[in-house]
Amino acid sequence: MGYYDVDDILADSAEFSCKFQYDMPGLGYLAGNPGRAIDKNARLDLPLWLARILAIVGGSEDEDDAEEAVPFVELLPAEIFSPKVINAIKADPTSIDLHSISSHFLALSLKWIALFGDEELASICSSLTLARALEINAHASSVNFVSTAELASPFLLTLDESEKKLYRTSHESYKEHKRWMVER
Amino acid sequence: MSLPDQLESTFSPEEIQFIVENEPIRIFPRVTTRKTKRPLPMGGGSNESVRWKLITTDDHNVNNMVAMQSTEVTLWLALLLKQQNKCSIVAPSWLTLKELDRSIQYEKTHVDRFCPVPWNWLVLAQVLFKRAPEHFHDPVHELRAKVQDLREIRQLKVLRGLRHLNESHLQLDNLSLLEINELRPFIVDVMDKLRQLHTAKGTMEDEEEE
Repeated sequence: MGYYDVDDILADSAEFSCKFQYDMPGLGYLAGNPGRAIDKNARLDLPLWLARILAIVGGSEDEDDAEEAVPFVELLPAEIFSPKVINAIKADPTSIDLHSISSHFLALSLKWIALFGDEELASICSSLTLARALEINAHASSVNFVSTAELASPFLLTLDESEKKLYRTSHESYKEHKRWMVER
Repeated sequence: MSLPDQLESTFSPEEIQFIVENEPIRIFPRVTTRKTKRPLPMGGGSNESVRWKLITTDDHNVNNMVAMQSTEVTLWLALLLKQQNKCSIVAPSWLTLKELDRSIQYEKTHVDRFCPVPWNWLVLAQVLFKRAPEHFHDPVHELRAKVQDLREIRQLKVLRGLRHLNESHLQLDNLSLLEINELRPFIVDVMDKLRQLHTAKGTMEDEEEE
């Protein structure tokens, strides 16, 4: 997290499908036909950083005293949090291929939860994070000085970016300490 | 800072050793540094030239060593004196076969807690095994094996305990500095993720309450 965090920027540019709730004159370039308007109820994939703002900020044609302004777009249920994925996570967090679903799955789920206050998704993601972290720890703590070519286990290929970072830092630490223990 | 990541997030084992080397340890000096027959009063302004002046540690003991009379100095100094054959190091009481066996037994009987060994046990044992192996009463290779056993049992327990990580707190009674340090990057990262999930969930509720 942070201004200079590349992963955060990449996660923010992941696209989610949205539905426009207004006719948007002149915004056609978003859909690939510049100069035209976007019709009401048109569906479009927008990057999260844009979709988030449009889904929060609303406008109304007859301005003034619109008590509850309808936001510009409505975020549709995301594919990466579809029941299929959620059920797969519930079934076995360690065998799901997060990297192929989205390389920033955890970062996205965090943003998604913050956006919708989705408690169920939050608790699922907590147990997902923890279960996979334990598995990552098991891999990270196996330090082998002899062979440099590590046998990449299939599990390590399914990690998303934040998990890769976790693996890297914890493996580094285990290696340092093992080295210190051995050289004494 | 332009430090490598792993040095920013945690200590290196060498740094831990440096910290531990500042701890006092009991030695038997083989030389006498005390000038007068009677001990000087603590901090008394003696006119004699002081032979040792240490900035990083209390130098009272160093200037008052009497051969074969045990005293306490910091570990790094003890190792230095030992290197010059000016003292022998007294192994700490927990670092004997009997005590280590007792610790291992404790670890085996109490599944959910760690036995109370000093916070620097692992580093101290490693340093002493390497630098002063001849000053132990018990054979060093046996001690080494016992220490390794103890470490492995504790590591296993830690792994079992990691299952209960949560976003708010973690209790690490009786774990030593090196053991915690080894795990720190992992635990901090995981707990941070759980915390973020927890707060993300909370933001919505807060807004609704307002």
